[in-house]
Amino acid sequence: MIRINNLSYTYPDRTLALDGVDLSIEKGEFVALIGKNGCGKTTLVRHLNALLMPTSGSISVFGMDTTDTSNVWNIRQTVGMVFQNPQTQFVGTTLEEDVAFGPENLALPQNEIQERVDRSLREVDLLEYKTYSPKTLSGGQMQRAAIAGILAMEPQCIVLDEVTSMLDPQSRSNVLDTIAQLHQSGKTIIYVTQRIEEILPIADRIISMNNGRIEFVGTPKEYLASVESPIPAVTSLMRKLKAKGFDVNGNVFTVDDALLEITKATQVRDKNKTETSGNG
Amino acid sequence: MDELFLSYIHGDSILYRLDPRTKLVTLMVISILVLQTFTFPCLGVFIIFFILLAHLSGVSTGILIRSIKPMLIFFTFIFLMHLFLTKGTPIFQIGLVHPTFEGLTTGTIITARFVLLILFASLLTATTRPTMITNGIERLLRPLPLKRFGLSSFDIATMMSLSIRFVPVLLNTARQIRYAQISRCLDIRHNMFRGVSTTITPMIRESLQTADELAIAMESRCYQGNFRTSLFELKMRSADWVVLCGISGLAVLSYI
Ligand SMILES: Nc1ncnc2c1ncn2[C@@H]1O[C@H](COP(=O)(O)OP(=O)(O)OP(=O)(O)O)[C@@H](O)[C@H]1O
Ligand SMILES: [Mg+2]
Repeated sequence: MIRINNLSYTYPDRTLALDGVDLSIEKGEFVALIGKNGCGKTTLVRHLNALLMPTSGSISVFGMDTTDTSNVWNIRQTVGMVFQNPQTQFVGTTLEEDVAFGPENLALPQNEIQERVDRSLREVDLLEYKTYSPKTLSGGQMQRAAIAGILAMEPQCIVLDEVTSMLDPQSRSNVLDTIAQLHQSGKTIIYVTQRIEEILPIADRIISMNNGRIEFVGTPKEYLASVESPIPAVTSLMRKLKAKGFDVNGNVFTVDDALLEITKATQVRDKNKTETSGNG
Repeated sequence: MDELFLSYIHGDSILYRLDPRTKLVTLMVISILVLQTFTFPCLGVFIIFFILLAHLSGVSTGILIRSIKPMLIFFTFIFLMHLFLTKGTPIFQIGLVHPTFEGLTTGTIITARFVLLILFASLLTATTRPTMITNGIERLLRPLPLKRFGLSSFDIATMMSLSIRFVPVLLNTARQIRYAQISRCLDIRHNMFRGVSTTITPMIRESLQTADELAIAMESRCYQGNFRTSLFELKMRSADWVVLCGISGLAVLSYI
């Protein structure tokens, strides 16, 4: 339950980063935020847990107004944020210490912290690495550790700002699996990315930004139906095949769907061929 | 190699199980006593004491002794300074240079003191997790009126653990910057001054960037710099009190 009302933000150096953003995000939704470099994605999501305050407009997060300073710590517990760089958000000297950092700040009793650390690490499948130091963890494991660190604060909503951009393909898919699982378990997910192909299969809604404004809001299907680019490589291929006269759906985005479409189209073509040759 | 210097070594023994506060206080007392030794027999006692503790700790003595390595130049310097600059009976004389017997004695004693300090400190760091050390320091500092300086014991503890976490990261960055420059044919080994300035500028930028991202990540995880709890709470056991009594007894004894 996030309501953003006519939000504008200007950085101290007078860069207008957000220009009248209106947006609602419902509880339990998986929202993907896309857009070119410098369009204001990071600036927008940093408003969601009161790291930045609006220049004008307002944001309410699960009923709390972010401009009310007495709400700040509640808001940061409710909306957890995971960042791009695995190194600079890992504050502990071991994995379990890092995950404990948030609950320690909330001044929870030791046994409660221990419980939350174990539970969160199990959720991201890193429990057996508990005592590892960051030196011995891969980038993907560190990003999952960062997610565990947020989970340990038991937030309702998790914001992930380009968390896979510094990872190799295998780690990226592990992190995405973890995020999809969290969504299944009922968390609201706001996922910022430049890679449209990784979120079309899992997001409920796509929000596309340009120049500090919101350009498009809709389901993945609506996105493909109305947007020329960016689109996944698979969709692009299907559109090219269609342009060549192949009777396929130009809006599929998974390899499996594409295979199905192509098989169907080939069968239809072959059938037509035999029919025409039979007639002739 | 830089990772071995005063780092934690996994293990288990009576020394591992002591409360970090006990170990910190004991180290402080021992350090003061070591700095007051003036005779070889006294040094001998501390060396035997160290060997005893090292044996009790279960940490291989080789690892502990290796922690002196990075300080070797410093120790040699101190030793030579005393050897050549102390007035007294010359051992031999070449021109103006004349090491003295007195210099040899004081040089050995003073160098041995520093070596012992490092050795005892390495015993603490080898048997105590960094977090436990910072937690221990935090608890010892808590009663002090730090508020007057706009600090809290929690701030200090966090700063210390962040340094432990990020010093290796920054060293690594420095190494990468150097490789990047060498690979672009800027061979800094031939020009010390240029080498330092071309490494430092990107280093500062990189560190500020790191500090900035770190601060934001910590803030978004509700870090406020005031009261917080810990995953590892400290607890004094009877063994701790025994050790503390023992060490204060030793301190009193050495004054008499
Ligand atoms: N700290 C800052 N001070 C001044 N201007 C800034 C600051 N951070 C970002 N900007 C500017 O604000 C605009 C929006 O930046 P923002 O980081 O929100 O974009 P983004 O969509 O997250 O980009 P990216 O894909 O590169 O992460 C850009 O023009 C950027 O140059
Ligand atoms: Mg960004």
